[in-house]
Amino acid sequence: MLVNSLNFLIFFGIVFFIYYIPLKEKTKSQNWLLFVASYVFYGIAAWQMIPLLFTATTIFYFLGFAIRRGNEKKASLLTTLGVCIGVGLLLYFKYLNFFIQSFADLFNTIGLKANWGTFNIILPLGISFFTFRLISYIIEVRRGKMVPTKDFVVFANYIAFFPTIMSGPIDRPNSFIPQLTNKRTFNYGLASDGCRQIIWGMSKKMIIADNLATIVNPVWADIPNQSGSTLFITAILYSIQMYTDFSGYSDMAIGIGKILGFRITKNFNYPYFTRNVSEYWRNWHMSLTSWLTDYVFMPLNVKFRDLGNFGLILAIIINMVVVGLWHGANWTFALFGLYHGLLFIPLILSGSFFKKKKLKTNKLGIPYLKDVLKMLGTFLLVTLGLVIFRADNIGQFWDYINGFFNFSNFFKLTLDKKELVPLALFIVIMFILEWFERGKEFALSTFLTKNNIVFRWSFYFFLIVMLFVMSSKQQEFIYFQF
Amino acid sequence: MNQQDVLNQVQEIFQDQLDDESIILTNESTANDVDDWDSLTHIMLVVAIEKQFKIKFTSMEILSWRNVGEMIDNILNKLN
Repeated sequence: MLVNSLNFLIFFGIVFFIYYIPLKEKTKSQNWLLFVASYVFYGIAAWQMIPLLFTATTIFYFLGFAIRRGNEKKASLLTTLGVCIGVGLLLYFKYLNFFIQSFADLFNTIGLKANWGTFNIILPLGISFFTFRLISYIIEVRRGKMVPTKDFVVFANYIAFFPTIMSGPIDRPNSFIPQLTNKRTFNYGLASDGCRQIIWGMSKKMIIADNLATIVNPVWADIPNQSGSTLFITAILYSIQMYTDFSGYSDMAIGIGKILGFRITKNFNYPYFTRNVSEYWRNWHMSLTSWLTDYVFMPLNVKFRDLGNFGLILAIIINMVVVGLWHGANWTFALFGLYHGLLFIPLILSGSFFKKKKLKTNKLGIPYLKDVLKMLGTFLLVTLGLVIFRADNIGQFWDYINGFFNFSNFFKLTLDKKELVPLALFIVIMFILEWFERGKEFALSTFLTKNNIVFRWSFYFFLIVMLFVMSSKQQEFIYFQF
Repeated sequence: MNQQDVLNQVQEIFQDQLDDESIILTNESTANDVDDWDSLTHIMLVVAIEKQFKIKFTSMEILSWRNVGEMIDNILNKLN
């Protein structure tokens, strides 16, 4: 059930009605409802995984108490156990076959015959997201930053909250659990802000990302027959597709949360307006990067603190490879992470990694040429990274890059211009709107409320009509596979 | 050395490392109250504090502090 489908609208409508009318101001009952709704929502997508989700939730619920009550040694041991269970789940479901295959390939290349079978493991939806929530809960308890929650339903809701279980954002227990215990009454301001965010997210996803997918996918399916310019433009389009797809999804999830009275953590902060890769990672998939900063990068950085810049570089490279591999078991993801890790080296050595320069503009709000060039440079570096990310394997990535340099018919653009031109117009409108509203949570957050009612409703009407006119074949969200 | 002495010295280290004379620390200060105090500069600050007081924290200690006061207590514990 996609969040931008009619089925979801019906599902959400029922939840919304019960949540705010019969269960008005009954926090405990509302939590029960959310719990049932979350398990139904997850069960529709992957009913076989319900026992696993429930068991893991129960184990971590009790681990939280045991860590809190235990002495130093016991707490440390139990935390390690919890992290191992969490990581173990991920390794088993996402990486086991990859390891078996990689070792078999390795043995075969050195001449040893290895013919090992791989397991038939179903890929559980959302596992990368809910295991990270489980792990962060016990680490926060261990670090003494929060008290474990006694209410099982509250904890289970934190792990399985239906707007975010499939693709995040990955909320932290310290900010999310208290919201589940607080009273939630219908807040008109927050809910209408949520609706605006959903419309904006849907527009990005259905007007831009889904249409880009129909242009990008055929090119990737037939790389050898594409010209250099086609491959170049397609790479750029994929960067935009990735951003509009994933940030569109995040906006919808956050918006749904707002309607139910929750503040879900931010996931994107206009990442394509950043001037170097370090800035980019602070603004792209923020709930994942901040998770890894706290639980992977910081401990490594603390460990390596006496090694100076070398220690910092090492910590960043390991962290970025983990970022890459989190997406799945494929050498392309490892290479993607390594590539981004290496891009930090010049920033660290030149010192610009430590400086946070505010972006200045002229009187009209337009950035200076120097900054525009830096943004473009960062965008192109990110685009190259996403070519590695999108490739099925390293060989395909290599074919793609070779295709770039196919100069014999470089300028023969094979993309359909009739499809491309209106889409390009929407992309430009989106970026202009986002640029001028970049200080806000999302582009429509105050842009329309500042304007008069006629303009405001005309704009909503325009977007909604466009959602119908432009929406092509519904595409799954890219991040559902991770 | 008492709490206040340590706090004063730590404050000087912060001013020096973050290059900002206007930083005033209290026991309740957190990274949210001080500009430029983030996960990166935090490590620089820790290294400078360890050098100044000739002590060594464990990773767990460094990752558990919730505010300046907890860090100061940790330093005092090590010194005594």
